[in-house]
Amino acid sequence: MDSIVNILLPLWEWLPEYLQIFLWNLGKILLIMLPLMGAVAYVTLLERKVIGFMQVRIGPNRVGPKGLLQPIADALKLMFKEIIIPTNANKFLFLSAPMLSIGPALAAWAVIPFNGELVLADLNAGLLYILALTSMGVYGVLIAGWASNSKYALLGALRSAAQVVAYEIAMGFALVGVLMAGGSLNLGDIIAKQAGGFSNWFIIPLLPLFFVYFISGVAETNRAPFDVAEGESEIVAGFHVDYSGMAFAVFFLAEYANIIMISALTSLLFWGGWLSPFGDIGGILGNGFHWFLLKTVFFIFVFLWLRATFPRYRYDQIMRLGWKVFIPVTIVWLFVEAVMFVMQVGPWGA
Amino acid sequence: MSFTEIVFYAFSAIMITAALGVISARNPVHSALFLVLTFFATSGIWLLLEAEFLAITLVLVYVGAVMVLFLFVVMMLDINITVMRQGFIKYLPIGILVALVLVTQMVLLVGPENFGLSQFAEPALKAADYSNTRELGRVIYTDYVYPFEVASVILLVAIVAAIALTMRRRPETKYQTPIKQMMVKKSDRLRIVKMQAEEKQ
Amino acid sequence: MLENYLPVLIFICIGLITGAAMVVMGGFMLAPRRPDPAKNSPYECGFEAFEDARLKFDVRYYLVAILFIIFDLEIAFLFPWAIVLEDIGVFGVVAMGIFLGILVIGFIYEWKKGALEWE
Repeated sequence: MDSIVNILLPLWEWLPEYLQIFLWNLGKILLIMLPLMGAVAYVTLLERKVIGFMQVRIGPNRVGPKGLLQPIADALKLMFKEIIIPTNANKFLFLSAPMLSIGPALAAWAVIPFNGELVLADLNAGLLYILALTSMGVYGVLIAGWASNSKYALLGALRSAAQVVAYEIAMGFALVGVLMAGGSLNLGDIIAKQAGGFSNWFIIPLLPLFFVYFISGVAETNRAPFDVAEGESEIVAGFHVDYSGMAFAVFFLAEYANIIMISALTSLLFWGGWLSPFGDIGGILGNGFHWFLLKTVFFIFVFLWLRATFPRYRYDQIMRLGWKVFIPVTIVWLFVEAVMFVMQVGPWGA
Repeated sequence: MSFTEIVFYAFSAIMITAALGVISARNPVHSALFLVLTFFATSGIWLLLEAEFLAITLVLVYVGAVMVLFLFVVMMLDINITVMRQGFIKYLPIGILVALVLVTQMVLLVGPENFGLSQFAEPALKAADYSNTRELGRVIYTDYVYPFEVASVILLVAIVAAIALTMRRRPETKYQTPIKQMMVKKSDRLRIVKMQAEEKQ
Repeated sequence: MLENYLPVLIFICIGLITGAAMVVMGGFMLAPRRPDPAKNSPYECGFEAFEDARLKFDVRYYLVAILFIIFDLEIAFLFPWAIVLEDIGVFGVVAMGIFLGILVIGFIYEWKKGALEWE
């Protein structure tokens, strides 16, 4: 062990400084990305298991003990599948669409704080950065739909884009409420404002915004019950109908990475992130990464639960909910919150 | 050359190449996507100037919203490319003339004699906890409140104009009102007529 | 401040590279490649594809996109306001109240005109 360190340390010091910085950051990024990829793979298994049990089935149970190796088998299968490029497709755009959809989904994790100290980039405009990257997600879908040159794909892409766009506004308004309460765009500061046990979490003063945010998140990721963009029974999976093999897998990864992202953000912004509900009492019940993980997993579970429970909404119902319910609700709540904030009443009392 | 300079030249190169792509691409969708890339590179350059809020808002508003609209339009309208290309040569001299005038004006206005380092000292680099957004917020809603309110009026005009230009009800579309369908009673639809039984022929 | 953005820049690059690497590795190195006219035709439930897939769409989609831009700008204005509300106090709330008030008029107009209707 010592000998390895003895060889590696001078080698590390011999590297020029910029390379050291680059490698150091690269290492940290991989430390976020690889567990995330693993989590994505196992969320797919979790989804099939959870929905299986909710429908009184067992779910996948053949590959490995209790089906635990299923995601790996799926990944291997997709890897060896041909990527079919339709004749009329725009080749370059067709292949770059999955890339454009996973890039922002991963890069948003750069500003997520995992506990008090662990954060890759402690941006002052962290939340703005996340909102900007989420708004990029629509490009993958639009380009995929257009480049495949297929009617179903185009229809799915359009629906998805119009829907994502409608819910992004509600989401943005909900975030403004969080900003007001947190007084900062920095995610670490927002968590710091929620310190001191459950009663200080933003979920209490911002309950309506929490619902708006989470439901918008479900709509934003095109998940059931808002999955008309994929509606397999009418437009056969929508924008990625012509994708196969790894190109499809990348879309799939991006979708699940976004689910985990929305769950993580919900727990950070409204449920105190890594903070313990009992205040900082130390030990396992004190603050720590495990609380963040627990809350995130719970919200991922809610995503799956929603899928197993609700039938798909009609498109006009989706648009009505986004524009006519969520936007008025958030505007009203923002106004109430601002007045309370300035008058120093309620949770903001002196 | 320092690292930030390398990044600056990289972003500038991407920006100029992409901007050339916007006007030279044959397919309008490609043009729109090149424009997205241009915005990205611009945002990178703004970040280098430590204009954090503006840089990210550029991506949020222009890339995330305006270009989505552009893409909607160019993707869904089947624009005839050959027709659009007609007259390219004919209009070329005028185009070059306008471009030259613009470039001259810009050089005169933002050239080094007005904005060079001799006119303004190089601003100091900001500390890591400096929040550009906060500084902006402090002045927009107090010192510049009047332009801020004017902005809302402009946005209102935009809403009204957009609706006035695009909203039209199609008389031939049939609408379904589920509520009405649910409330229907037998008596609304069905009329029972009493009549004499007819004799078998 | 800039040093905070270096990891972000690297992360964005890595994210895009990961996507590209997966497609290239999976699709062009490991997977077979046997094109066939029937297989490569766009999916249309087994029918021969007819007409061009790029059709004209309802203007309503454009309207939604335009309205989205306007509301997105509103959000961009709300963000700095929300974080400095503590400093600017009542004056800030009134300023934003007028701003949002004017835009709510637009929103009501939209609603009454039926621009949000989707049938």
